[in-house]
Amino acid sequence: MIQLAGSFIESISVSTGFRFDLLAGYMPLFLKGTLYTIGISLFAIFIGLILGLLIGLGELMRNKLLSFPFKAYVAFVRGTPFFVQILIIHFGVIPVFLGKTNGVAAGIVALSLNSAAYIAEIFRAGIQSIDKGQMEAARSLGMTHTQAMKSVILPQAFKRMIPPLGNEFITLIKESSLTAIVAVPEIMYWARAFNGEYYRVWEPYLLAAVIYFILTFTLSILLSHLEKRLATDDKS
Amino acid sequence: MIRVENLKKTFGKNEVLKDISVTIKPQEVVVVIGPSGSGKSTFLRCLNLLETITAGHVYIEGVDIADKKTDINKIRTEVGMVFQQFNLFPHKTVLENIILAPMKVKKQSREQAVKKARELLGKVGLAEKENVYPDSLSGGQKQRVAIARALAMEPKIMLFDEPTSALDPEMVGEVLEVMKQLAREGMTMVVVTHEMGFAREVGDRVIFMDGGYIVEENTPNQLFNNPQHERTKLFLSKVL
Repeated sequence: MIQLAGSFIESISVSTGFRFDLLAGYMPLFLKGTLYTIGISLFAIFIGLILGLLIGLGELMRNKLLSFPFKAYVAFVRGTPFFVQILIIHFGVIPVFLGKTNGVAAGIVALSLNSAAYIAEIFRAGIQSIDKGQMEAARSLGMTHTQAMKSVILPQAFKRMIPPLGNEFITLIKESSLTAIVAVPEIMYWARAFNGEYYRVWEPYLLAAVIYFILTFTLSILLSHLEKRLATDDKS
Repeated sequence: MIRVENLKKTFGKNEVLKDISVTIKPQEVVVVIGPSGSGKSTFLRCLNLLETITAGHVYIEGVDIADKKTDINKIRTEVGMVFQQFNLFPHKTVLENIILAPMKVKKQSREQAVKKARELLGKVGLAEKENVYPDSLSGGQKQRVAIARALAMEPKIMLFDEPTSALDPEMVGEVLEVMKQLAREGMTMVVVTHEMGFAREVGDRVIFMDGGYIVEENTPNQLFNNPQHERTKLFLSKVL
């Protein structure tokens, strides 16, 4: 079997000039890069979810003066390219706090702050999509606003947020490739290094594309399973 | 039990309630009728402060509910409400719908709340439905669960906001039957409805509202058979 696969690869390599031998040497680096991609994405999803929930609730505050900063933040993040954001954070923000630049920190912070804005919108839309009769019914029974949110609104809203949150996580994994420009040693960083070393295009970038696709596709399968399970929870 | 004094309510520039004053006694069943847009639902929603009050006062057992010092959540535990659209919690079973507020608000134990809930489900004729989700119930069943849910808080007053308007005609009867039983047991009720038969049969008093005012109030017999105002006559001629 392995022999067969080996000879198959060899025949492709001979007929197309695809240099599997060069890729083989880079495999440990791509593997490490993949772990970095997964790592910074997980960190960013975690921080982004917490910040996003807070910003989303901030946006929903009735007092316009109080909700304004949250709305402004979301508008700013959504209205500027991630490429610009990451450079500002890497060369501007992180040195202020750490005294020097740090690619991994900048990558995680930039991804978190960026996804927080999108996640905030998902939370806000999810909460607002729940019929206002639900809040009224809960309040009419004497529940406080917070109790009604926790027991009635958020459990329903959360279910509706899963598909758009899944999209956001997939976007985040793909956007994490841009952290290569601030030297985060993730997948694209090594792909570019390979390109720089051997002047070859197809091998590194095609492999990078395949790895990203495997990551995002796996995630979307997991999410659709979760969606189905939650959908059937309702109807026992 | 309920005293409303010079109640006014505006939405932006739209004056929905212009000057409402009315007193409702314990155990009284008051039915509010009137054309759409007459402000009858808004009036009802002011009684438990689901709508803020623009001017005037609403007293529930002597407590001014719009007073900043009043704990409105406390008042609401004593004023149950049933909505046109049921507003059951779709992510919870029938039983969970009913026990949620008693456990969260009144801090009852689960056993205590479940016991009461089963008793109420029996009363509204849905004892066998406790473990199903609202989605699988008919409109009439949903509304009966909603009534049970409101009663679980052991309110002293029940407000009904067009409780049968969203129902298929053949399901109206089962909901009205539960409401009639409640009236017989001496519950103080304010009912906004288009069911004139119910008003006639169960109401102690009927209030006719139009244009943000109470045009006329009287016993059902007097109001339906001998209306005093032109507006009332016109309305009744259309609905009876």
